[in-house]
Amino acid sequence: MIITRSKLGNGLHLNKVITEKFKSNYIAINLIRPLDKNEVTTNSLLSSILGRGTESYSSKALLERRLEELYGANLNVTISKRGERHILRVSIEWADSRFTGDNSYEEDVISLLKDTLFNPFLPKGLFEESQVLQEKKNLISKIESKVNDKRSLALNRCIEEMCKEEAFSIYQLGYVEDISPIDEKNLTQHYFDLLNTSEIEVVYVGKDNQHIDSNIIPQAYLNRDNIIHVPREDIHKTIKQELKIVEKEDINQGKLVIGYRSTIGYEDKLYSALLVGNEIFGGGPNSKLFKEIREKHSLAYYVGSNLIKHKSIILLDAGIDSNNYDKTVLLIDSQLKNMINGDFTEDEIDIAKKGIKTSSMSIIDNPQLMGEFTLGKILANDQRTLEEMIQDVEKVTKDEIVQAMKTIFIDTFYFMTSQEVKADEEN
Amino acid sequence: MKKIRNSTLNEEIFYEELENGIKVFFFPKEGFTKKYAIFTTNYGSLHSAFKTKEGGDIHNLPKGIAHFLEHKLFEEEDGDVFSKFAQNGAFVNAYTNFNQTSYLFYSTDNFYDNLKLLIEFVQNPYLTDENVFKEKGIISQEIEMYLDNPKWRVFFNCLRGLYHNHPVRDDIAGTVESILSINKEDLMTAYNAFYHPSNMVLFVVGELDKDELLKTINEAGRKYEPVEYKPIRIFEFEPKEVKEKLVEDYMATSKPLFYIGIKDNELGLFGREAIKKDVATNIILDMLFSDSSDFYHQLYNEGLIDKSFGAYYTGKDNYGHSFIVGQTNDPKLIYDKIMDVFTENKMYINEENFQRIKKKEIGHFLMGFNSIEFIANNLTDLYFQDFLLIDYLDVLNDIEFKDIQERLKEHLNKEYTTLSIVWPNKNNDIKEEGDK
Repeated sequence: MIITRSKLGNGLHLNKVITEKFKSNYIAINLIRPLDKNEVTTNSLLSSILGRGTESYSSKALLERRLEELYGANLNVTISKRGERHILRVSIEWADSRFTGDNSYEEDVISLLKDTLFNPFLPKGLFEESQVLQEKKNLISKIESKVNDKRSLALNRCIEEMCKEEAFSIYQLGYVEDISPIDEKNLTQHYFDLLNTSEIEVVYVGKDNQHIDSNIIPQAYLNRDNIIHVPREDIHKTIKQELKIVEKEDINQGKLVIGYRSTIGYEDKLYSALLVGNEIFGGGPNSKLFKEIREKHSLAYYVGSNLIKHKSIILLDAGIDSNNYDKTVLLIDSQLKNMINGDFTEDEIDIAKKGIKTSSMSIIDNPQLMGEFTLGKILANDQRTLEEMIQDVEKVTKDEIVQAMKTIFIDTFYFMTSQEVKADEEN
Repeated sequence: MKKIRNSTLNEEIFYEELENGIKVFFFPKEGFTKKYAIFTTNYGSLHSAFKTKEGGDIHNLPKGIAHFLEHKLFEEEDGDVFSKFAQNGAFVNAYTNFNQTSYLFYSTDNFYDNLKLLIEFVQNPYLTDENVFKEKGIISQEIEMYLDNPKWRVFFNCLRGLYHNHPVRDDIAGTVESILSINKEDLMTAYNAFYHPSNMVLFVVGELDKDELLKTINEAGRKYEPVEYKPIRIFEFEPKEVKEKLVEDYMATSKPLFYIGIKDNELGLFGREAIKKDVATNIILDMLFSDSSDFYHQLYNEGLIDKSFGAYYTGKDNYGHSFIVGQTNDPKLIYDKIMDVFTENKMYINEENFQRIKKKEIGHFLMGFNSIEFIANNLTDLYFQDFLLIDYLDVLNDIEFKDIQERLKEHLNKEYTTLSIVWPNKNNDIKEEGDK
């Protein structure tokens, strides 16, 4: 596996991971934007419009048929949130010609990817009005459908309340109230702004391929001047009082989310210790939370915690019977106290480290994960190799974990329940 | 080990049946860091009723028993299984579906130790009244979690509309009521009937040595008498007709969700024939309803469907159905339009569209081979239909347009459809009287 990174122009890089172990190849062009309420909805709509047609394949149906001819190449346009960045990604994965026995199509796959982003269907120089109208409607229903998944709704609501003053609270798909002012004119304008001002990271994973070179980006975008660089997220917030939110929904199971913060950033030497500490606390079926809340007290089917790298936030979530709220919160609290007091064993540390190692090593078995990992390193300005990252985790000591866990404090309790909300629980 | 090779795919599989009856398959995957093993019994949520021998008593165990047993096998007298795997840096998990219960792990190091652990814990149940009781709280929460999922509701309501008696209409985990009645004795009855090695299969995928593998498996296997043993699964008679043409329900969703089910009456197939039917049906559904079809874009442009719209077929020897699913403001209109396509489809079903979709299927199948989980899980699933995954590409290549035309005529029949709709609750605060 050979990994290279080359600068193609101002704010524009090509990253290649060359390997022959996969049956497919994968390229992603990532446009990196600040997570900003003023453009998040437009970015999101743009991700639905791109991929509806190119200059050569003017409708979605024609484009999809072309993809089928290219052995079912998977073309995707997605929008996602990484810390306080909003990433518009156009990617394609295709079956390698070594296995289809057909040498005729790889160049076409790459052109199709380029055209999707750089030569979309723009009759009269604008996105088509009827398509924009339709995708606006679809985006409204997509945003509204977040209520269908109560677990992720609860997680989102917790972040919204907890990070009210921070860009991180912004919902990645955008906001219904910001959709109506968008039309084909300002959307097209925004599209060109994005091409002209975004940092662009191209990531390729696959066999060595002569078509993957600077031509992947049209000449016109190689020398751009006004690139927007997204600053590192702020992770220092002082809390006067813990926030307690209880919301009523028509559900069977109560959804509990607790948002914690730490002051250790991902650049910090202690970050690996925070990672291991979180793994022991709520990282999986060997964690303290799983053993105590699920296995010992039968209170939940799912319970665990997740460390959000760019914000140094730990989000814990559990599905519980609403009557068990107080009991569960007390047990969770005592588990965190155990972590802070160093009440965990060398064996638990060892298990946590091995778990992190196995997950990390699995990345290199999947082309898309490998692409994701490569981009993640760039966003965090992390020069380490995967092996070095694993070594840093392995070196973590118990003292460091305690030190890291001591920085953690509760910011927000969020609870979604079908029961009547008691007045004293509302802040 | 015996070698089975497929030259189209340029892959090979090794096979061996051990003395105690376990079938072992090994799929070498050079250059991959991760190694994966999945140990499966052909016992799922469909098999609550069974006999252990011809002429024996019928056991009718509570719904959800296979899934309950899956949870309980993780319990060991000397500590829990999760931590033993974790000490070797492995991730262990399990799942139960309609037809099987599978126990699996993946790891990058210590593979053979982990494999030994896997075989040992599945073959050594440790059940006590206390640990069975404790599990009821956990599984109740799992069931409650699914009850909050509108997609799960619209899916199972459709199955309950399609089938009168077949247990595919019952929730895999059972109901809170049914699992509360499960006791240690029920679990052991199920275990003894279905966890005999001759009812089990082990698939291993990764860069591994086959001699070392066999040695490990033989050492770990519990000693069983080598008997020819086959539990008899009992299914009630299932009429061809659907039970309900329309099933409606209400939940907190943003838009109405729908599932249109088509009951398959071409049953009783195994092996190549079964897979060919499966592939042909899915190609038909793609030709009509995937995002390369004109019909899809007509509905999309009218604002009737969004990207959640899609269709697929799934089935085994004694049940089968196609689903056409999505969300829309007007499910009944969508239903009517789809029923029209059942009879008026000449513009979508043609040789050119067929060849293109077939090419796509080939590409997707090849890309699946990037994933050791895809390989092992599909090997297992198809194995119980008497088919080896590596021959799948041959079936795909052999399918002709006339197979499509024949299958279309027999399967797309309005008479055998159920429309399931979950409508949004207009007011979230109103709860029906009598709700728990």
